[in-house]
Amino acid sequence: MSVSSGRTRGERGSSRGATRRTAVVVVPLLLSALTLTACGSGGDDAGSSADGKIEGDISFQTWNLRANYKDYFEGLAKDFEKQNPGVHVKWLDQPAENYADKLSADAAGGTLPDVVNVSPDLSYPLAKAGVIMSLDKEPAAAKFKGDYTPEAWKGNELPGLEGSYAFPWYLNTGPLFYNKTLFQKAGLDPAKPPKTYDELFADANTIAVKSGGKTATLAGTPSIEDFGRYGVPLMNADATKFTYNDAKGTELLTKYLELFKNGGLDSQALTSGPDAVGQKFLQQKVAMNPGSAHDLGTFKQNAPDLYKNLGITDAPNNTGHPNMYVMGMAVNSKSKHKAAAIAFAHFITDKQNQESFAHKVAIFPSTAGSLDQPYWTQDDGTDEGRIRVASARLLKGAVNYTPVVMTDEMKTILKNEVAKALQGKKSPQQALDDAVSQSDKLLKQS
Amino acid sequence: MSARTHRAASPWLFLLPGLVIIAAFSLYPFISTVGTAFTDARTLTPGHWVGLRNFQDMLDDEQFWTGLRNSTLYVLLVVPCTVLLPLLLALLVQKQVPGIAFFRSSFYTPVVASVVVVALIWVWMLDDRGLVNGILGYFGTGPVEFLSDQWLLLFSAMALTVWKGLGYYMIIYLAALANVPKELHEAAAVDGAGAVRRFISITVPAVRSTMVLVGALSSVAAFKVFTEVYLMAGPTGGPAGEDTTIVMLVQRVGTGLSGRTGYASALSVVIFVVTLVLMLLVLRADRKDGE
Repeated sequence: MSVSSGRTRGERGSSRGATRRTAVVVVPLLLSALTLTACGSGGDDAGSSADGKIEGDISFQTWNLRANYKDYFEGLAKDFEKQNPGVHVKWLDQPAENYADKLSADAAGGTLPDVVNVSPDLSYPLAKAGVIMSLDKEPAAAKFKGDYTPEAWKGNELPGLEGSYAFPWYLNTGPLFYNKTLFQKAGLDPAKPPKTYDELFADANTIAVKSGGKTATLAGTPSIEDFGRYGVPLMNADATKFTYNDAKGTELLTKYLELFKNGGLDSQALTSGPDAVGQKFLQQKVAMNPGSAHDLGTFKQNAPDLYKNLGITDAPNNTGHPNMYVMGMAVNSKSKHKAAAIAFAHFITDKQNQESFAHKVAIFPSTAGSLDQPYWTQDDGTDEGRIRVASARLLKGAVNYTPVVMTDEMKTILKNEVAKALQGKKSPQQALDDAVSQSDKLLKQS
Repeated sequence: MSARTHRAASPWLFLLPGLVIIAAFSLYPFISTVGTAFTDARTLTPGHWVGLRNFQDMLDDEQFWTGLRNSTLYVLLVVPCTVLLPLLLALLVQKQVPGIAFFRSSFYTPVVASVVVVALIWVWMLDDRGLVNGILGYFGTGPVEFLSDQWLLLFSAMALTVWKGLGYYMIIYLAALANVPKELHEAAAVDGAGAVRRFISITVPAVRSTMVLVGALSSVAAFKVFTEVYLMAGPTGGPAGEDTTIVMLVQRVGTGLSGRTGYASALSVVIFVVTLVLMLLVLRADRKDGE
């Protein structure tokens, strides 16, 4: 052992002890600091032939449907297996939250199910990465094109990519719920909910004034769909630039700013996510809330008082075209049993099965001719029947306003810039200009 | 296998499971993250080499500076509280009096509780129409915007972090305090030292290395804070994203089907460097004190 350092044994021992103590502290901390995010990408297995025999084990994934429709989907799988004895179908269902993250993890890990429930904005990155199949390019799938309405088939076409990427499944306009009691208290006619944005802002002002600023009408800031329904052009024709910062976009944000100032927009709207907004409506703290048909069950179970006084209407729009949510069934381009996957995706979305599903829940089929049937054209005298017929009529002119190229990050940018305008940190025009500029930059990089 | 080989291989065989786990879940992701930081990778595409572009982009990214500011503030304000308050709490519950076990357990309960549940309870309590504002309203004070004011929201999240960590660090201090000889306190008391003097001159030096450990652990945890702020401020990071922390930014840009994993990895590398510097600073301060 060297003694050149001139240290005594005690000093060396103390130094070694200090080193050891340091190591004891540093090593676990270093490891904890090391545990950072990392991502990978999936394999590039080409999959099987789509024209082959319909056989093999396939999996299909739905989006938050097990809780209410377990029997229906298990029945569907069994029916398909009966019709195709060589096929075994495994059904997977994912919760509504973080569905995109689940898809990205599966796609990156090469474990994406053979048939996947998607909306066009989810299809876009999957299609760009070549993870899901272009149905028009695959004759075994393209032959079913005529089974669906042309709008629905087109609804799954993606900018810059060739063909349609999912079998059209159900459509929905997304109802707007409102609290009739709160409308009544403000002296408004609960039978006449607002149909346009001007009516919405007027009613919201009335409710805020009559409640002394205690009751807000809306609890969320305007989303990209709001801009669309207001009549703002969202993107240029080839979907390479955002355009929602035009005069009309600024006008909408200015109106929201006035609403925020007078209490018509909940004071926590800048931070509330969809769940928090839903909770506020459930607690009867806000008068209106966008939702889906699934929410009816929640209201019935968790807020029976609200359910008794629940009004349902379509989200207001100034364009005459309500927003349409489009669901589809995409096929994994690397499926080992492509023929079976295509056949099953078509089976779930065929006329018979779409219509039977639409009889169970307030959604609308996308198969050709379905909406012309009496169930969707003739009022049977019930509340549900009236809403169903009215919504089905509106669907014929409905538009999917969400630009499929708009990522979650771009939506967050819009939300944050809108918040800056509502806080008065930026003018509405400046906020929208900044949101567009940041989003365009991201779009260019993608 | 000869006895000599056996002797040489045995320790490694014992270490092997741990080493494999560390290699698979810490080292490989870390190396992969560093590599990805220099590419334009996306969630579903591996990307190309872009050199330092991600780091240059960071300089122009307003959200990055917001995240860095908030995470740094978190360290500056939370760490002193998590170093001192649990020590005081430990001194309080160290005394052997009837029923003290109940208090020890009570203080530890928040540690065991799910952070998600706890954060949601805090959100309900701090809501404009929640319990806290209800009480303030009773005394005639207007609603305090805990959840919609940028700074109040961040401070509320910090309070939650401190409150939740109290019990955990208290246990660490209790173990350290058990090793402080009672005689020292008795001798000091005989010499006329009061409680404060004994705390400063006996307790603090005796648990100094534990304080360093707590400081280092809580600095890293505070800089990497995510859950509390995410749950209280929402996924967009509070009003106009002003409460976004640096790890929230990683989550925001790096996840989802179009996640920018290259940029998120570059952010992660920055987090790693900052936490490393933080640890070194704490340890350096400890060494300086020791000298």
